[in-house]
Amino acid sequence: MLAEIGYFALIFALGTAIYAIVASVYGEYRHRESLVLSGRNAALLNFVFVTIATLALQIALMTEQYQIKYVWSVTNPQMPEFFRFTSLWGSQAGSLLFWSFLMSLFSAGAIVLNWKSHRRLMPYAIAYMMAVLVFFIGISLVYENPFERWWVMPESAGGEVIAAVLAPAGATAPLASRLADSANGLNPLLRHFGMAIHPPMLYLGFVGFVIPFAFAMSALASGELSTNWIKASRRWALVAWLFLSLGLLLGGRWAYDVLGWGGYWGWDPVENAAFLPWLIGTAFLHSVMIQEKRGMLKVWNMFLIIGTFSAVIFGTFATRSGLVESVHSFARSEIGFPMFFFWFFVTIISVALILHRRGQGLLEDEHKFNNIFSREAMFVVNNMIFVALFIAVFWGSFGAPIISELVFDTNITLGADYFNTVTPPLFLIMYILMGVAPLSAWGITSLSRLGKAMVIPLGLTALTLVLFVIGGMGSPLVLLGYGIVILAGWVAIYETYRGVRARTRAHGENPLTALWKISLRNPRRYGGYMIHLGVTVIGIGVIGSTLFQLETQKSLAVGESIQIGGYEMVYDRFDGGQISQDERIMDIANVSVWRDGQQLATLRPRRDFFPGTEGMNTMTIAGAHSTVENDFYVLLVDWEELNQNRATFKIYINPLINLVWWGGLILILGTIIATLPKEIMNKETRRRLRQS
Amino acid sequence: MIFSRLLKSQRGNIRNLTLLVLIGMVSALCVGMVSAQKQVITDDEVNEIAGKLYCPVCENIPLDACGTAACADWRYEIRLQLEQGMTEQQIIDDFVLRFGDRVVGTPQDPTLRLLSLATPYVALLLAIIATVVALIRLRKQPDTVTELENDTSEKAKPNDHYRDLLEQDLS
Repeated sequence: MLAEIGYFALIFALGTAIYAIVASVYGEYRHRESLVLSGRNAALLNFVFVTIATLALQIALMTEQYQIKYVWSVTNPQMPEFFRFTSLWGSQAGSLLFWSFLMSLFSAGAIVLNWKSHRRLMPYAIAYMMAVLVFFIGISLVYENPFERWWVMPESAGGEVIAAVLAPAGATAPLASRLADSANGLNPLLRHFGMAIHPPMLYLGFVGFVIPFAFAMSALASGELSTNWIKASRRWALVAWLFLSLGLLLGGRWAYDVLGWGGYWGWDPVENAAFLPWLIGTAFLHSVMIQEKRGMLKVWNMFLIIGTFSAVIFGTFATRSGLVESVHSFARSEIGFPMFFFWFFVTIISVALILHRRGQGLLEDEHKFNNIFSREAMFVVNNMIFVALFIAVFWGSFGAPIISELVFDTNITLGADYFNTVTPPLFLIMYILMGVAPLSAWGITSLSRLGKAMVIPLGLTALTLVLFVIGGMGSPLVLLGYGIVILAGWVAIYETYRGVRARTRAHGENPLTALWKISLRNPRRYGGYMIHLGVTVIGIGVIGSTLFQLETQKSLAVGESIQIGGYEMVYDRFDGGQISQDERIMDIANVSVWRDGQQLATLRPRRDFFPGTEGMNTMTIAGAHSTVENDFYVLLVDWEELNQNRATFKIYINPLINLVWWGGLILILGTIIATLPKEIMNKETRRRLRQS
Repeated sequence: MIFSRLLKSQRGNIRNLTLLVLIGMVSALCVGMVSAQKQVITDDEVNEIAGKLYCPVCENIPLDACGTAACADWRYEIRLQLEQGMTEQQIIDDFVLRFGDRVVGTPQDPTLRLLSLATPYVALLLAIIATVVALIRLRKQPDTVTELENDTSEKAKPNDHYRDLLEQDLS
């Protein structure tokens, strides 16, 4: 029953989305308000139907409806309820439906929140949002239907077990007990708390960027090319960026905890597929400020938002079509061609619209650049760096491997070697700009003014580097790298301090109250500074954990120890064959970590084995002792099967790695502040206005 | 009799010969032991090379981090190759020869290597040229824009406030 409910709800969702497109566009074209309203209501109804379909699948997963193929393939009776819940996005068909659900949720939110304030943009924006939904719902219905069920064909038809949405003639449902016994269960790598949050965050980031894209395309289609589309979509872009950042961070944490290679970012194509929209979306968020403030770069901003949307769709296509292989890409499927066609088609239409409006002179810049040191000029250079990073990452992940295969008939992999060679100089330029651009002014500025503004942050940076040298860091190149990164952080702190100081002097408030007030008064500026501070802290963590990582591997007998980076690890005992609640078999080594004769921690690195699971059925869970200084991170690599007296361990010392996570938290907090609505009128003004 | 006399006369020579053989054997043993000690390959040495290779089966997973049995075998093979005295580059070349350029982080083939590494820099160069051209084209003499927008001091706030009110009215 749940399968039928879900299936027909999806069909209705498709119908309402198509109707919303036709009614909105035709109603706007013919100036028929009732049709436009009808289109809006259809779009809202679409959300209701997609929600019903998603709930149907979620209930089926929770209630173990193994006759549904998707439920059978991602759950089994031993799985705890938590993973039963997260298995909604554990495989291709379910995650596509979940994608559609989030997209319809965002669309409904955008319609409700922007209908009155940006009425003129809404019909075409609805059409674009619904067009994306039509595509994804269509993919779910035609290629990856999550509501297919198992059927046993009659003996006359071969007696085979097939998957179909509706019962074929004469077919019967297989025995429930037999289905339960043979159910696959979720991919072991996805049985982690991070997986409960990481994919939804990424999807929210992906679908979030569809909203600004829809408003941009609506502006082009309607010819309403003032800054209204930016005002309508700015917060959506920030929200999307927030979720995408959160998704990337959680993905890194998941990799660190589960993939068992001692790092958090492996330049894997799927990671990069999520990083690409983040890069170009970041460029857009900076560049769009120039258009808001100075009426410039209108064409460029359109290209950036199209680029962000294209990166979202291309990334989804690349990881789901089998174009690239990775530890966490989806299996090869038939959706590759339609997805590529959709991406290509939407991009071509969007570019054609830009060229059309540009030809009409509607995208002319309102101002010119005054000075190479002006903030807008810096933002242009910032854009250049982000686009260069985008190209470098795209080329390494997809461009070079695809071209090599097509032209040279050779499979190649561009791995960490490539990315660690190409991207660091670009990231360093990005940090330099983060340190300089906030101190430059919009419009006119001079080198001497900029120089004066930089004196104090530069002094603080020099002081920090002196402390680093006293602490034992001697490499000039590393100090240079740290100096560039830290300068960006000091500039963010100094600029915030200046704002707080001005406020405390003017109003006599204490610094914390003043910080709160200025953040509410100008959330974008101070949220932005906090984001810069977060990126600085991440940068310090990345440099530390990359350049100073220690690694060793050794086989130890029980009672033996190994020393690395000032730590001593003793192999205490082995607990083999432990069976958990979800029936995974855990082989656990018990080790103790010592430093300066004191025991710091007892760790239990382990290897989990999932019997009866096809494909990747083991998972290496690290044991880690975290401090501000570093992580002592140990993996159980191997052990003697017979008496377990001897086991092999791989140990990493990851300096400053926790700064990556803390910096991420600061970045997220900053983005939340930047997303807050600006306090246009203070309470006193509002009170006077009400009285009048 | 003759034999025993001969033996007596040659006893010194035989003793010397035996001594020589013994010294030779001990020396050979020592050299062998030293040589054998040199051939003890640590896990770290294996991982250093495995970290530069990718699993030939499961794409995009470094060989030192891959948990499959096949990868464990390949790591063991690297250990044997090191024991045989092969250099890091020889081992990498051997893997590339057998499994293709996909097992290394950057292709060994000169053309592919150049194409892979140079393209982003060429793109960056083009981006720099495009940016410089754009900035020059979009540049003009200073206009009347002031630096007030960037001013954090209190005197700038009344204007901000009125502008905000105006924008709110207009929107």
